[in-house]
Amino acid sequence: MNKINFYLLEYAYAYIKRNKNKNIFIVTVFTLLVALLSSVFFITTTVEHEMKERISYKPDIVVQAYKAGMQSSVDSALLDKLLEINGISSGHLRVEGTYDFRAKNRLFYLYGVAPFEDQEDPFIEQVLQNEALNSSQMLVSDSVKESMHQAYYDKYFNFIKPDGSLQKVFIKKSFPVHKRIELQNLILLDQDTLRKIFGYSENEGSDIALSVANKNELDFITSKIRLMLPNAKVVSKNDLNVMYEKLFDYDSGVFLSLFVIAIFTFFIIIYDKANGLSSEEKREIGILKAIGWRVEDVLHAKFYEAAIISFFSFFTGLLIAFVYVFIFKAPLLGEIFMHNTLLDIHTFNLDFYLELSYTLLIFLLSVPVYIAATLIPSWRVATLDADEVMR
Amino acid sequence: MIEIKNVSKIYDGNIVALQDINLRFKEGELIILKGVSGSGKSTILSLIAGLSKPTLGEITVDKKKISKLPDHFAASYRRDNIGIVFQKYNLIPTLSVTENVLLPLFPLNLPRELMKEKSSNVLQKFSIEHKANVIVKNLSGGEQQRVAIARANINDPKIILADEPTANLDEKLSLEFIEILRELKSKKRTIIIATHDPLFFDLDIVDRTVSIEHGKLL
Repeated sequence: MNKINFYLLEYAYAYIKRNKNKNIFIVTVFTLLVALLSSVFFITTTVEHEMKERISYKPDIVVQAYKAGMQSSVDSALLDKLLEINGISSGHLRVEGTYDFRAKNRLFYLYGVAPFEDQEDPFIEQVLQNEALNSSQMLVSDSVKESMHQAYYDKYFNFIKPDGSLQKVFIKKSFPVHKRIELQNLILLDQDTLRKIFGYSENEGSDIALSVANKNELDFITSKIRLMLPNAKVVSKNDLNVMYEKLFDYDSGVFLSLFVIAIFTFFIIIYDKANGLSSEEKREIGILKAIGWRVEDVLHAKFYEAAIISFFSFFTGLLIAFVYVFIFKAPLLGEIFMHNTLLDIHTFNLDFYLELSYTLLIFLLSVPVYIAATLIPSWRVATLDADEVMR
Repeated sequence: MIEIKNVSKIYDGNIVALQDINLRFKEGELIILKGVSGSGKSTILSLIAGLSKPTLGEITVDKKKISKLPDHFAASYRRDNIGIVFQKYNLIPTLSVTENVLLPLFPLNLPRELMKEKSSNVLQKFSIEHKANVIVKNLSGGEQQRVAIARANINDPKIILADEPTANLDEKLSLEFIEILRELKSKKRTIIIATHDPLFFDLDIVDRTVSIEHGKLL
């Protein structure tokens, strides 16, 4: 079987055409199975990949202050205290938070920018390049600008401060978020202006972002801060990774997929086995043997037959999944799979990302199984005496 | 030369198809195996073709023990030495005439030109070349039999086995088949025909008629 025999390949193809109805059924089930599983894996791996990328832009550790179970502002004195911990290389007070834009029933994400401060997120760094903001200016995403425009705020917006007074901030420029859909609610403005909007004093911020020199010590340092500040919420990058994986319920997705693949594959096998080889098929194998085909030749042709069906179905299923997930952005299935409200499928780009191991897993659980299910009954018949064709 | 020595064939442990058969066929002979349905004619053909093995006894073809050949070698032996014409033709109905005729050669993966040449020669020989690309199921009974004969001869075999070859043919087509046999005999092929058609019994080309009844030679 080391050289392609095109005669046997043509014979196998003719055989498939002869048993059109049965094979159309198998190809349909097989293709749908691969398409469904590949879609699930495409969604899970792509979203996981995007999430990991997003987490990589986050600070190593974020410390939030809590009072009576409610998040409160943090003082710069706390930052000085944290910077004394061995292993923390740098840190800064951040001013950020959401703002309820009631006119359009939308939450804006406000992020305070301090002059000459480096940004962890390369996208924000890029937006701020050559854009010095004064205290009455802001940069808004195109989407935010559109929402403001719909509420007739074309040049500026009046933020309502906690005391009820207004803080007028002019729109300096808008920026496209491109693939960073999760940042479509972003507004960048001067840190001190944002303090006024949130009602913070000069030394206060919404949280503290810390960098750790040795990433292997991240968990150790995080637990150290937790011990030091029992009232604070301390979130590390590692915690975020674990949290997102739990939210996404990734493991159960994989098990669900394996369960589905097993059911469908068995369905195909059972269909094939229940039918076994028809008397026509048995007779044909008998004829082939009578005219000089060896058992290997019969199996060679049967292998081609199963390979044509399984490879065609596998790659068609893969193509359907690709188009469904990466071109149509997984309608229905994406929402079903991302049922958790904390993960909104619409904030993910679903840009093409292929985790080869999962594609290989689907391949191994479907194609060789189908080929074996075709070859075994044929081998059984082919090894019997072929004299029935003479009787 | 084909030699059948003390051959018995028992199916499913108790159905005796052949009982202590001894036969010899010389090269170039045309032999008729005569007998009613179920007498054991087809079983003899199937044993000579190596399609099944005798329960007892031994079959040799050109001093080779066919009855002991493992399946792998039996298939090669058939491909190189035997041409079989089945009663119901046993063609693949959805393949073309050319494809059916070339079917025994498919596993050999020969070059296309050689395959084309072989099919063209054999189709011409059996006057079916004008139907070369027709799907077999669209042919008449006589034409299908010509295809079956052409397929049996694609390898230029030394031995031709025919099982009730005229059972599905009218008289005219049966006579045509006899003409084909005449031609094959002139080429020194050993031909063994299992039949109960009286048309064969008095033919000048027939060297011998062997009668079988209930698995025994008469």
